[in-house]
Amino acid sequence: MTFSSSYLFGLTTFIYMGAAALYLIRWIFRVRKVGLLATFVTIGGLIIQTVGIGLRWIESYQLGYGHAPLSNLYESLVFFSWITVLVYLIIEWQTKQRVIGAFTTPFASLSMAYASFNPNIEDKIQPLIPALKSNWLIAHVLTCFLGYASFAVACGLGIMYLFKNRFSEASGALIDVIPDCKILDELIHQTIIFGFLWLSLGIITGAIWANDAWGTYWSWDPKETWSLITWFVYATALHARFVRGWTGRRIAYLSIIGFVSVMFTYFGVNFLLSGLHSYGSQ
Amino acid sequence: MKISFSTYQDTSIWRFFSSVRLAVFLLITLAITSIVGTVIPQGESLQFYLERFGPNLFRTIKVLHLYDTYHSWWYLALLGLFSINLIICTLRRLPFTLKLFRRDNLSVDFERLLKMPFKKDWETKKELDNDSTRSIIASFKKVAGKTEERDGVDGGRLFLAERGKWSYWGVYALHGSILIIFIGALVGLFLGFKGSIMLPEGETIDHIINRQTGKRIPLNFSVRCNRFNISFYDNGAPKEYRSDLTVLNGDKEVFHKSIVVNDPMKYRGITFYQASYRAIPEITVKVSNSDKLQRSLSISAFQKTLWPEEQLSFGLIQYQPSVHGRPAAQIWIADNEGRAGNIWLLQGREREFKQGEDLYKISLTNAKQRYLTGLQVKKDPGVLIVWLGCTVLIVGFAVVFWVPHRRMWLWIGHRKGRTVVILSGQTNKNKLRLEKDMKKIEEALNSNLGV
Ligand code: HEM
Repeated sequence: MTFSSSYLFGLTTFIYMGAAALYLIRWIFRVRKVGLLATFVTIGGLIIQTVGIGLRWIESYQLGYGHAPLSNLYESLVFFSWITVLVYLIIEWQTKQRVIGAFTTPFASLSMAYASFNPNIEDKIQPLIPALKSNWLIAHVLTCFLGYASFAVACGLGIMYLFKNRFSEASGALIDVIPDCKILDELIHQTIIFGFLWLSLGIITGAIWANDAWGTYWSWDPKETWSLITWFVYATALHARFVRGWTGRRIAYLSIIGFVSVMFTYFGVNFLLSGLHSYGSQ
Repeated sequence: MKISFSTYQDTSIWRFFSSVRLAVFLLITLAITSIVGTVIPQGESLQFYLERFGPNLFRTIKVLHLYDTYHSWWYLALLGLFSINLIICTLRRLPFTLKLFRRDNLSVDFERLLKMPFKKDWETKKELDNDSTRSIIASFKKVAGKTEERDGVDGGRLFLAERGKWSYWGVYALHGSILIIFIGALVGLFLGFKGSIMLPEGETIDHIINRQTGKRIPLNFSVRCNRFNISFYDNGAPKEYRSDLTVLNGDKEVFHKSIVVNDPMKYRGITFYQASYRAIPEITVKVSNSDKLQRSLSISAFQKTLWPEEQLSFGLIQYQPSVHGRPAAQIWIADNEGRAGNIWLLQGREREFKQGEDLYKISLTNAKQRYLTGLQVKKDPGVLIVWLGCTVLIVGFAVVFWVPHRRMWLWIGHRKGRTVVILSGQTNKNKLRLEKDMKKIEEALNSNLGV
């Protein structure tokens, strides 16, 4: 079957890699026209990926399992890249700053590439284990990943900030196209606010689900704890604005540290620690 | 009251405990120290830590309670300090917020209106007649919303449209929600319990064992497991664990529910969750004594079966599903004088055994799996408080960031022999929206004033 979801996902991987390359080219070589192309390619990739996700959902029904494509590591990686691209496109549309794409689309393409090319990641559609059979699965994964995606964008913005801040004296092509530190700072703040809301909702829906499944809304399992650690990091970033002397640079660092914590919550816990969450074990 | 408050506020301890600097410090500290409990396995026996980490690290683990990090004295102290910080910070800011909230935004003067972040003014030589004044005001109200009015402000009429003043309380709701969640957790800790039971199919239980203390907790009703069922997908992965439960009050059946993972049974504030299961073999034997008195008995693991007429007890020691293609079992037999022995049975072959003076015949007639369902049982009256806190957290957060406090003023009066109209506005969020609305009013006023 050529027109299957995995075929579309493979295609998406290459499209996103292409889009990331285009955004980088636009940024580094300042070719304006490439920017518009990059946006179109990204949108095209998003559409194909959306169809792919829908198709995978349908395929799971055809196999007789019938569940949303959010049930294992492979599917979550696909979803992560999908939602990151979506959040980025919204920000691009609102700020008209294509240079941000050079710092965010790579996350999406890396996620797809990792899902597609790592032989250890099971990409077959599997039946849902009893613990995952819940209406809260979709709400929980959706909210968490909206948070993760926003934080990925915030991290990209944080890197831009540090880059700009570091070389602010030396004006040059690369630096000039990056928006002002002030604008970046505000963007980081806004993105973190958005992500924080979704992460909070993700933690809460997770707690409700845990209460339904295991009888405790909070059991300090490593994944829960790491999401709380992440939450603390971003709460710090939100409050840092009220402490004198905590300027944009520290918040930029926090946006990067926060994303490292997100990544650890997402992958590290599965691979390095043991717990109740079962995504990474397949 | 007010005076004592301000003297409080100026002591440095008060200032320290109310500072955001301390909050940031605590948030970072909590983030870092929380890592410990994810790296060191939690809740194992002390012996485990000694073997795994060696005597030196073990001492640290023991002193700092790192085997149960999140309930250790220092972690709870951090959370306590965090709450104190939050409470004092809130108390300290309350008077300022009240002042902001109560501020009379109609008491502004001409100069202030002209210094607002958004403003536009018109001057004309001609007098405004009643009609055009009315239409100016109507245009303002149409976009700005409900207005208050005051006459004689610097010799003119002042209109104020204010929105979202209450949003100042959003941050209090947000911070308060954290405390609500803590309270919910404490209520659960002190007024709730957690326990578990292994309930064989067909049996009834009226108490559970507390997981922490090991004490018996009576339920005041009983629960029977009618059936346990496990089903599999084609590929062999488990699909569903299902227990069919009935609640009994005395002998009366009062409630029934079939539970699966993610869909527990709730009865009188107590929740029963599907947690695990175990399959144990159960065999049926036919025994008869020398008087040809015959009995059929079910014997399962972990349980004694009695033959009352003969004062004999039976137990299952071992079970083999297939010996020469037939089930076999080793059973244990004892009488009431403490004499015991054991014997192997193979289905289809009768055996004899002697107990004291008597000779018995026994044969294995049937063997099957019997299920025990593993239930988690919990009572937590704090859960609803926690959910309340979570709701307040999200709502508070949305209010803090997305509900603007916005004020728009319209002043119509005379200055230096000319008619002057001033439109000004201020908002703490969503400046774009205010700008748009200002533009709309501006255009309307332009046409009203014939500019
Ligand atoms: C994890 C717990 C906490 C969360 C989730 C939280 C959340 C927030 C958020 C989202 C804001 C709004 C920030 C902004 O307007 O940019 C805020 C403001 C603030 N927080 Fe917290 N906070 C927490 C704990 C604390 C603590 C312990 C303190 C103690 C001092 C504190 C003091 C403040 C202050 C003073 C503000 C500024 C309020 C204002 O804008 O008037 N917060 N907090």
